[in-house]
This record gives sequence, structure tokens and C-alpha cells, in this order.
Amino acid sequence: MIRTPLRPLARIIKARQTGANPDAIEAENKRERHAQMADRARRRAEGRLLVLGVCFLLAYGVIGIRMGTIAASVPEEPRTADVGNPIISQRADILDRDGRILATNFETHSLYAQPPQMVDPRAAADGLAAIFPEMDAEELFADFTGGRKFLWLRRQISPEQMQAVFDIGDPGLLFGPREMRLYPNGRVAAHVLGGAGYGREGVNSAEVIGVAGVERAFDDYLRDPANDGAPLQLSLDLTVQAAVERVLEGGMSLLNARAASAVLMDVHTGEVISMASLPDFDPNSRPRPLLEGDPADSPIFNRAVQGVYELGSVFKIFTVAQAIENGLVSADTIIDTTTPMRWGPHRISDYRNYGPELSVTDVVVKSSNTGTARIALQIGADAQQDFLARLGLMEPTRIELAEAPTGRPLVQKNWSDIVTMTTSYGHGLSSSPLHLAAAYATIVNGGTRVEPTILRRNSAQIGPRIISPETSAIAREMLRQVVVRGTATFAEVEGYAVGGKTGTADKPKPTGGYYEDRNLNTFAAVFPADQPRYVLITTLDSPVDTAGEEPRRTAGWTAVPVAGEIIRRVAPLLGLRPQIAQPALTGVSLTAN
Amino acid sequence: MSYLEYNVKYVPSGFRKLFYVNWQIVLLLLAIAGVGFLMLYSVAGGSMRPWVEPQMQRFAVGMVLMFIVAFIPIWFWRNVSLLGYLLAFGLLIYVELFGAVGMGAQRWIDLGFMRLQPSELMKVTLVMLLAAYYDWLPANKVSHPLWVAFAVFLVLVPTALVLRQPDLGTAILLLSGGGAIIYFAGVHWAYFATVIAAGIGAIFAVFQSRGTSWQLLQDYQFRRIDTFLNPANDPLGAGYHITQAKIALGSGGWTGRGYMQGTQSRLNFLPEKHTDFIFTTLAEEFGFVGGIALLGLYALVTLFCIVAGLQAKDRFSALICLGIGVTFFLYFFVNMAMVMGLAPVVGVPLPLVSYGGSAMLVLLAAFGLVQSAHIHRPR
Repeated sequence: MIRTPLRPLARIIKARQTGANPDAIEAENKRERHAQMADRARRRAEGRLLVLGVCFLLAYGVIGIRMGTIAASVPEEPRTADVGNPIISQRADILDRDGRILATNFETHSLYAQPPQMVDPRAAADGLAAIFPEMDAEELFADFTGGRKFLWLRRQISPEQMQAVFDIGDPGLLFGPREMRLYPNGRVAAHVLGGAGYGREGVNSAEVIGVAGVERAFDDYLRDPANDGAPLQLSLDLTVQAAVERVLEGGMSLLNARAASAVLMDVHTGEVISMASLPDFDPNSRPRPLLEGDPADSPIFNRAVQGVYELGSVFKIFTVAQAIENGLVSADTIIDTTTPMRWGPHRISDYRNYGPELSVTDVVVKSSNTGTARIALQIGADAQQDFLARLGLMEPTRIELAEAPTGRPLVQKNWSDIVTMTTSYGHGLSSSPLHLAAAYATIVNGGTRVEPTILRRNSAQIGPRIISPETSAIAREMLRQVVVRGTATFAEVEGYAVGGKTGTADKPKPTGGYYEDRNLNTFAAVFPADQPRYVLITTLDSPVDTAGEEPRRTAGWTAVPVAGEIIRRVAPLLGLRPQIAQPALTGVSLTAN
Repeated sequence: MSYLEYNVKYVPSGFRKLFYVNWQIVLLLLAIAGVGFLMLYSVAGGSMRPWVEPQMQRFAVGMVLMFIVAFIPIWFWRNVSLLGYLLAFGLLIYVELFGAVGMGAQRWIDLGFMRLQPSELMKVTLVMLLAAYYDWLPANKVSHPLWVAFAVFLVLVPTALVLRQPDLGTAILLLSGGGAIIYFAGVHWAYFATVIAAGIGAIFAVFQSRGTSWQLLQDYQFRRIDTFLNPANDPLGAGYHITQAKIALGSGGWTGRGYMQGTQSRLNFLPEKHTDFIFTTLAEEFGFVGGIALLGLYALVTLFCIVAGLQAKDRFSALICLGIGVTFFLYFFVNMAMVMGLAPVVGVPLPLVSYGGSAMLVLLAAFGLVQSAHIHRPR
């Protein structure tokens, strides 16, 4: 920038010649320069102000336009607010496989008080105590007059109670809309559904959160507004579920069992059609968890998923299937079944002496521990563990229930030969009935792995192959023979070709060792055996059949008839047609037949 | 360049100053405050209590304060601006320590008759100090990096303190108000380009930091931003404010439901209905017309502040008028944008209408400064 000098020499010299004061020239130039600087600054400031002014105008414009668009919009919610129900269904429904409602929502009201607005706290307290028996008039009065600005009185009230409170007529008693989870079928499928409770609570709404079962496992999905209320469809069949629970409950009381469970699963898709655990509860008022003692004693304990037990002889089919698959034996290989069998300090014996030798089929049909143990020795510990792991018996099931991870099988750390032998007939490895259902489905469906699921699916699972279709067919025929002439003859249901395997396991004492008179009786059923569609696992805890001369505690007398009755009831509901004339088996020849 | 270097012709003195008060601004402030009283009366369900009476008392006190400030010569205010800034800063630190020791997130000091929020005081003293700073700084040094850095430092320190409280709304106001003064003072535009670029980067960083251990905002602040971006996600939770406010505005329509006829706001659907969200009541009861009218009043106040700034003969007066005009504009712009879902909910009151003492007193005192600049302008 070119600066003009404050004391230009030409003017100074001229001024000196004329005798004028040169300082006056400097002062004048200074003033001019300041004026120019001020003008420049002002011009710049004005330019900037213009920019900002444009910004302001834009801002005003945006706000004005926004105000206009909102004013022109049609408000929708106030109309629903006028009738007092601003809350719409937030949580999605849960349906069974045919679209019947298992869980839905219900509009109700909460009751709260704002003491500063109360006209007559005394009358309000007395009136409330008269309507709600659990309230105390004196406590309420103390709350209302104690300087509190807000307090909850009831989370949910019925329409009649609401009217009664309304009739008290105190402006300090207020109602808030509330959404409530409703299970219209009561106890049916209680363990699968789990239950719901309240999370964060406000006057105008409250958060409904799942606390167990599918409600918990799918909590995010059910609450996600992005799903737009799309219901969650389960694989359960409400009709079948109700029938299973009914029969199981009858069997449990008839046989004086402490508890019972049942799992009905589609062998191809892995869908759980029914899952029951008794004793049960009403998910509409879910009991609190036990604070002390064994959680398994609480009705909220889901035996089918969380209860891991030594399931006993039902495991024998796994041992035999693996031996056949590995080419160690065939169905008619003769096995040494002398009893008792000694192995170091241990002794394995059969329930009854079946003679010195049996065919492999008869080892299963008559349920020989010694025969199975000898087969297991041929298989070896590592191969056995690997096979059981591939059947999914070594890790928790991945069923979509909140409780699934707690159903972790108990596996021996040190897998010695004696463990191999006991595991071959179902002792030493604890797993849940659901594990067993999935493993049986894998064995009988042609040999591909099945993962249990509670969600409806439309196609078969094609899991990794565990055994060949031929071995699967042999295993099915053996299971059929168990019902035809073995330990499970009570499960014969005419026309449905039931196959299966019993298991009578001694219950372990908490202190170590086993109870003499307490068994966990299991029957793993497959029907129809020739073209299997379903597996049904039925367990009864410590049942006793007192109909005979002496009490009978084996599965053949307890779990088997209950399972037979369940199949008799649900097979028609499942759409299975009875095959009165059984088709001849082809491609399989069995000497034992 | 101070006005002392000008040829002072005439500066009013004594009660003559009354004739030189900018009465347009006073009338506008009265009108806006009147709207506030009407709305508070309506929100309280047609009652002077609990809000209208204290609000009127504070407005009266504020008006007196404004005239006292206005009658004190502007050069006095320029000379004490550093002191005022340091006082406000000290109070901010005091609240910070005091709040940390005992009472949770306490942002105010109890003066007996009212609660003073130092962050409100800071908004004005920051504008004063920056105006005095640029008045003192020779014009050719304004864009020098060191002097710019010092001004930025003066803005950022209180902003950081306020952000720690945490009070996002006030922090935004401090930052943009201070920025506006620096802008008016003539700092080179390249600085602003850099800051805007850095700001975009910072927004990016804030979102990237979410969920990490060094996240830059509180969780509730992130949720507010989420809700702002998509209120329908959480209509009953954090999105409740905005959804209900929009409903109230929408149900007002063009001409409103009529005075005292609003349902949305008076039936307790709206929290904060008497403070930050009072505009919804106005919009519901007087509709688009009422909202635009209030917007017009605000626009006029801003306009008169700018005019006063343009008329001012010295730099301090000009900057303080513009700065206070901008701060006032930011107040109601952020508030209205927030209520109408154009900005996240950050907690800024609607100036002179929302119920609240500190903001009203401080704002009126600030307008006292504008008046003082106007009165003591050499003519």
C-alpha cells in the first residue's frame, strides 16, 4: 500500500517559505489519514454486516417457512389424546405357527397422586383404602401431607377401580395410560414365552420389557418401532402345546412325580412344536426368582432347556449308531453281555440278567448296560467324545430363549475308559431334554445335524452329515423294536408306528452318590418310525407307579405310557394319518426280527 | 480508535438523557415481555401464579436495571468490561467447584431474591470484553495471528467451563456470539473459513468418539442428537419433547385455537411448557399468525440493535450494539429452531418470554448497554 507522507517535503518547504507552521500540515494529514482509515473500517464492517444480515434473513425465512409448514400440517395425535389413549401398542405380538395369539398388549391405567393439587387428603386417603385393600389410610394420609409432589399408587388398575377412584373426585388423584402385556392363554407355553415387566416408568407411558423366554431373547425385536408392529411367529402349535401340557400334568399327578417336561420337535426343521415344563406358572403374574435354595425348585425353571440331567439309557442308541457307522458292528453282531462286568474297582451291571450274549439290536431293545459298555470300549474315548460333540451334546443349545446359555451340559473333565463306558449308557454326561430331542432328530432324520429353534421356519435344515442314511434307517428300526417287543411296549399307538428308547437314571444326591428311590425317567419317542416326522422327549422326575403290587419306578411303567398318551392325542392334531397296515421294511434285514 | 479522538460536539447529560433513549427498543421489549406474561398466564391455567407474578416483578427490576445501565456513560462500561469478564469468570469457576462438592449439577448462585446463573452473565460480559478489546487494538493488528488467538482464547475458556456444567445451549450461544464480534471487528475471512472447516471436522470427531472411552459429549446429549435426527425412533422417550411440540404447533394451524384454549400445552403433555417450550403454547393458541408476529417483534429488536450499531461513532459502541443484537438473535433463533425440530434440544430459553430470572435480567441489562451507547453517542 502506498502511504502518503505526513510531512510532504514540497509543502513543508513552501510553508516554511511563507512562514506558516509545518506542524499544522502534519496534523491536517493525520486527520485525513484517520478519516480514510475509519472509512475503510466502516466499509468493511458494513460489508460484513450485509453478509450477516443475509444470514439473519435466511434464518428468519427458514423459521417462518417451517412454522408455516407445521401450521399447515394436520395434527393427528391430539385426537387420540382427547379420548385419553395417547399410547398405542408398542410391543409386537407373539403368534404361534398358525397365527394364534400367544402374547399381546392391553390398555390399562396407572394411578398416581399429586398431593399439592389435592383438595381433601383425608377423604382421598380413606377412599383409596376402601377401594384397595392393601393400602393403609394412615400411611396414605402421611404421604399426601408430607410435602411430596408426586407418588405412584398403583401400576395397573382395572376399569372398575378406575371408576371408583374417579368417584372420590379428588383432583390430586390422576390416571396415566399404561400398556400391559397380556398372555390370553394363561399358563400355556409359560416357559417359552417367559414374561414381561416394566422398565423405565413415566406418568404417560411405561416401558414394557421382556424378562425371560422369547420375550427377553427377542426384546429388541419386539420393541423396535422399525418393525412396525410385525408380530413374532413361533414354531409352537398352541393346540398341541395345550394337549401336551394337559396330558403331562395328568401323568405327573397320577404317578406322583415331582416334576415333568416334554419337548416335541420336528426332526427335519428342528422346530420345537411344543415345549412344556411342570410345575409351571402364569406369565401374566410371573413369580419372582427364588433367592435361596435350588433355583430348579422354582416353577419358573424351564426343565426342558435349563435342566441338565444324566438321562440314562436313552444314550445307548448314540453308542450303537456310532459303532454301526464306524463299521465296528452290524445290527446282528453278537455282543458279550455277561453281568456284572468288572473294570478295575468299578462294576457295571444290568437291570436284569439277559444271558451271556445278545445281538446289537437286542442290546438296545432290552437295554443292556454291559453290552453297550463293551461296544463303547471298541469305539474308544476320543471317537465317542467327538461323536457326542457333533450331536451337540457338549455345549448349550442355541435355541432362541433367554435361558438357553444356562443349559450347559456337564462334561467329565477326565474322560477315562470308565467314563466312556458309563457315558455309553447315559451316565456321566448331563444334558437337557432339548439336547436329547435335537440329537434324536439328528439320528432318525437320515443323519444330518439339527439345531433346535423356537421360530417358525418353512424349510428343512440341511446341517452337516453325522451318520449315513443307512445307519439312520437301522437305528430307526431298532427304536421301533424297543416299542414292539422291548422296554417301551406301553408306547404302542396303533397306526403311528412309534419307536423310541427308555431311560431310567438314578438321581444324584446333592451330597454325592445316587438316591435309591428317586429316578429321572425319560422316554425318547420317534413317530412314525418308518418315515419319522417328530421326536417327543418326555421326562418325569421321581415318578412311582403304585397300580401294581409293588411300586414300579422304571421308565417303561411311567414315562412311556405318558408319552404314548401324548402321541395318541397330538398325532391327529399334527395332521398325521394313521397307517393301520404297516408297510414292509425294505433294504434292511434284521435277524432279531 | 476511540471516540475521544473525535471532535465531540454534544453528549446529553443529566435527565436530558431521557430524550435520547432509544424508545423503539424499549417499546418492543415491553411488547415481547407482555406476550410472555400472557402466555405464562395461559399456561398456568388462567392464573397469575405461579409464574406471571414473579416474572412481572423481575421484568420491572430488569427495566430499572436497564435504565441505570443506560444512564451510565458508555466509556465507563468500556473501562470496566475486563473487570466484568473476570467477575463472571470467577463466578463460573465458583459454581463449578461448589457444584462438584455438594449439589450435583448446580448452575446457579442463590442471591436471595433470585438465582443468578453466571453463564448468563458471561454471555454479556464476553461481548463487552471483546468489544473493548477490539476498541483498544489498533486496526492494523486485528488480523495478526497472535491477537486473533488471544480473542479466541477469551471466547473458548468460558465456553469450555460452561460445556463442563454441562450446558450445551449456553456454550453454543457464547461461541457464536463471540465469533460474531470477532467477525465484525474485521478479522481476515480466512480464519473463519478455517474454523468452519475445523467445525465440520469436529462434528465428525464427536460422532466418531461415540461409545469410546474418550467420548466428547454426554450420553444424553448424543441421545438428543439422535432424537433430533429421527424423533419417531423414540416418541415416548427423548423424542417426546419434539413430537409433542410439533403436535402443538400443528394443532394451532393458521390462526390458533384461541387464547387459553390450547390443550396440548395446558394438559401437561409438554414438559418445560413454561420455560424452553413456551413457544409451543403461543403457536397452539395464536397459530401461525401469532408465531410470525412474535418473530416480527424479535426481528425488529435485532434491526434496531444493528441500526444503533451503525449510528455509533466509536468502535466499542458499534461492536457492543451489534454483539448484543446477535446474541439476542441467537437466543430466539436457537430456541425456535429447537421447538420446531430444526435443531437438537439444547436448552435455550425464548428471550423475555420464557419463565426465568437470570436470562431476563441479564438481557435487559445488555439492552441497557445498547441504550447507553445510543444515548452517549456524540451528536
